[in-house]
Amino acid sequence: MPTPMEQLIEYIEYILTPSTPVFVVGALIVVLVPIIVHIFVTQSTPYTSLPSVVLVGPPGAGKTALLTLLERGDAAISTHTSQVPQSIELTVSVDQHLSFREAVKDDAPGEHKKFLLVDTPGHGKLRNFAMDSLVAREGLKGIVFMLDAATLDENLAATANYLYEVLLALQKRVSSVKTSKTPSAINVLIAANKSDLFTALPATLVKSNLEAELGRIRKSRSKGLLASGVGIDDVDNGENDDWLGEYGSEKFTFGQMQEFNLEVDIVGGSVTEGKVDKWWHWVSERL
Amino acid sequence: MLDTFEILTTSGVVLWSRSYAQVSPSIINNFITDVFIEEKGGAIAGAKNNQSAAQNPPYKADQHTLKWTFVKELGIIFVAVYRSLLHLSWVDKLVDNLKTIFVDLYGDQLKKPNTTLVHCHKFDGYFDQQLRELESTTATKGAPAPTFALETDETISGNLGDEPPLPPGLKHRSAKAQDGTHDLPSTVESTPIATPTSSRPSTPGGNHLVVGKGGPISKMSRRARKMQKGASAPMSSGDESSARKKKAPKKGRKWDADGFADEEDDVQLDYSAAPNSITSDSEVEGRSTVIASVDSSTWGTKTSKGQFVLRDLDDEVHDILASAQSKSSTTANSGLVGSGLSTINSLFRNVVGGKTLTKEDLAKPMDGMKEHLIKKNAAVRLRDSVEKELLGVKTGSFESIDTRIKKAMEVCLTKMLTPTSSLDLLRDIELVTRPSGFSSQKARPYVMSIVGVNGVGKSTNLSKICYFLLQNKMRVLVVAGDTFRSGAVEQLKVHVRNLKELTEREGGQVEIFEKGYGGDAATVARDAVRSATSEGYDVVLIDTAGRRHNDQRLMSNLEKFAKLANPDKILMVGEALVGNDSVAQARNFNASFGQGRTLDGFIISKCDTVGDMVGTLVSIVHATNVPVLFVGVGQHYSDIRNFSVRWAVEKLLNSS
Repeated sequence: MPTPMEQLIEYIEYILTPSTPVFVVGALIVVLVPIIVHIFVTQSTPYTSLPSVVLVGPPGAGKTALLTLLERGDAAISTHTSQVPQSIELTVSVDQHLSFREAVKDDAPGEHKKFLLVDTPGHGKLRNFAMDSLVAREGLKGIVFMLDAATLDENLAATANYLYEVLLALQKRVSSVKTSKTPSAINVLIAANKSDLFTALPATLVKSNLEAELGRIRKSRSKGLLASGVGIDDVDNGENDDWLGEYGSEKFTFGQMQEFNLEVDIVGGSVTEGKVDKWWHWVSERL
Repeated sequence: MLDTFEILTTSGVVLWSRSYAQVSPSIINNFITDVFIEEKGGAIAGAKNNQSAAQNPPYKADQHTLKWTFVKELGIIFVAVYRSLLHLSWVDKLVDNLKTIFVDLYGDQLKKPNTTLVHCHKFDGYFDQQLRELESTTATKGAPAPTFALETDETISGNLGDEPPLPPGLKHRSAKAQDGTHDLPSTVESTPIATPTSSRPSTPGGNHLVVGKGGPISKMSRRARKMQKGASAPMSSGDESSARKKKAPKKGRKWDADGFADEEDDVQLDYSAAPNSITSDSEVEGRSTVIASVDSSTWGTKTSKGQFVLRDLDDEVHDILASAQSKSSTTANSGLVGSGLSTINSLFRNVVGGKTLTKEDLAKPMDGMKEHLIKKNAAVRLRDSVEKELLGVKTGSFESIDTRIKKAMEVCLTKMLTPTSSLDLLRDIELVTRPSGFSSQKARPYVMSIVGVNGVGKSTNLSKICYFLLQNKMRVLVVAGDTFRSGAVEQLKVHVRNLKELTEREGGQVEIFEKGYGGDAATVARDAVRSATSEGYDVVLIDTAGRRHNDQRLMSNLEKFAKLANPDKILMVGEALVGNDSVAQARNFNASFGQGRTLDGFIISKCDTVGDMVGTLVSIVHATNVPVLFVGVGQHYSDIRNFSVRWAVEKLLNSS
């Protein structure tokens, strides 16, 4: 009886001596292991990046409700405060002017394009994801900023603040690029939701209110304190980075954003009544 | 009775819901915000994965009690809402059972990416079955019947300023007299003095979260569960026997090879071969009844069909629950070969990624992380929340546990430090001093006061803020509220003189308001605010005497101070140098202003002296949920900065 030690040595000798089975097994390992690893990795990573549209906005505006409406095609279902981002895959017709109700069907006519609609949490503590995705997301085609037009009066400051952050991030994205190649345009749709309610402001009024408030925010920010971690030397380099729109201008208008390749549209609508066709068309045009 | 039961995802979509009485959606929204997002009410009150509903602290708001449980890997929350007056001891069990059933039935659908569609309309049946079963078990044992007091209690319903009013039809009479023992805690919890905190949700004015256990409730439920165990066993066996009776004739015919006899097969069988196949005497005896029942099912009347379905459901539900239970008890002892394979698999996954993290995997790297944080002077058990974030998460491709933990840390810290609402001081001041024409508010000065322990830099930071305001051309009144320590008033006078000289050209204007020593600080503050209002100042800055946070005598003055001066912002100055004590300081000060009033922000002074060790920041924010507004970074009047979350997180994670 050979001792286990001897057996082991025998095995090792066998493996190390060149012979056909050893070669075959070795070759198999060399060929198969990369393939297995590849399959494993590709399975665990999600799809390749589709073009995407991101929904941002203050909490309670109806972002998740719009998402469910577009996905289901008939009516929005009830929703609660979101904690995590959620993306859904939607199709949009390339050649035809279809409403979202028709596009959601499997047998909709024409050629189709897939895209991702990404819902982000609106809560103040959870806006990181939205802000990160504005800067870093690949294939970002547009941003839908939803707001509640019915309670805009009370929430104007908070809403405008968030919008300010969003627009500033987009502006920096464009202006920070030093090379001649400008990044692709990202347009913003301000979707004034809840037009079904009595107190809802029309889109034009939403626009003027937001512009006025953004102007005030811009002014008070320029006078505010520096953020911690910013050295004194970093500041005095001519143009102010944190100024939204045309530097030094008296009044803020959304038109000033065109300088940074940003177009801002404001369209009213209502998720609960299903009046989101204008928004849908805006989205389909941007894809 | 149950008011609402909802199953919702963390992304906010309601997958399934059943409502018996209209419940304002804001109740569940507030619940999500308080428990999951802001994690109010202590460090570990947050959402624990897969915990039974009995262990999760019930959330109480606006006369409702919410029992909930949370499945992390699928991201679904189960919430049951019922009136706080009712002792529904079976709700815990209901929530747990439904969780098990739902996860078992629809877990696969939930894992699909890029969709929110879950087809679960069949869940109605399961829900009804569970509800009926659990309700009947408690009803037979004489569960406390819902009782209502005759008189409405104004203090309960009147003080819930944060919650929107219920629709008039739903006004509920609260039982104080009858349910004294049970209701006492809930009334105490739900009657903080309502302040207009809608703009500052981080203050616990609307914090109805009960940190402690529900006292009598949890005891009740334990007893009830025991009852249920006793009661459900005979009941289910009764069900089985009745089912067996039904299946007996099928076995005689031997139609179904795999043992799962369908009712509809039975029906076909009866039509085609009934006269020939029945041979045994017993079958002949029972024939008439069998045929009768089958006939009724082929008619497909609603009731009889429902019964058939439900009988199947009972079995199915019990199977699901039993298998889940056995699974949880047998996961530990898998064979030697199995454990060997799983070790290899986990090693492989560790390198390649895609590993599902368990508590054991996390233990060691988490200890390292803890050490790292301690080095940064953070006295928090961040560990719990990071671990919560990570448990059950799959690592990405070629991602090691360490990088994943670092990422989770970053997310946790950012989430914790980010304030709920934006903190633009100038904008706030503008809103108060120059209210827009539409609002009914009158213009008045914006009042800020500064509190803190001795020697942390209250007066210095007050002067810094004053300097900043003066540069924005505001008229500031500085109030010497320290009427106790000798030299305090003179010190402020020197500051004011300096500031006057510095900002002469800028256009700001600053004066000092002082009443010498020995007076009552609260009265001085009130007088100052009055005179500032009449003289048209923009901002009133009130300095206070430093006080030790564990001296009850000194701290009790603060409540009166908050009441008389009624500041728009109460800021506390905390040192970056201090270690563990910062948590106690922050907590005590936060709690000292009476009910419904908390701190509005922190100023962290002396940040320039600690380098990367800014852990104090995290400690105090974690302990109180109050945001940091400013950090002091030097000796000059201009050395004050807005707090930047990114900066703090970078410093904390920086390991050099």
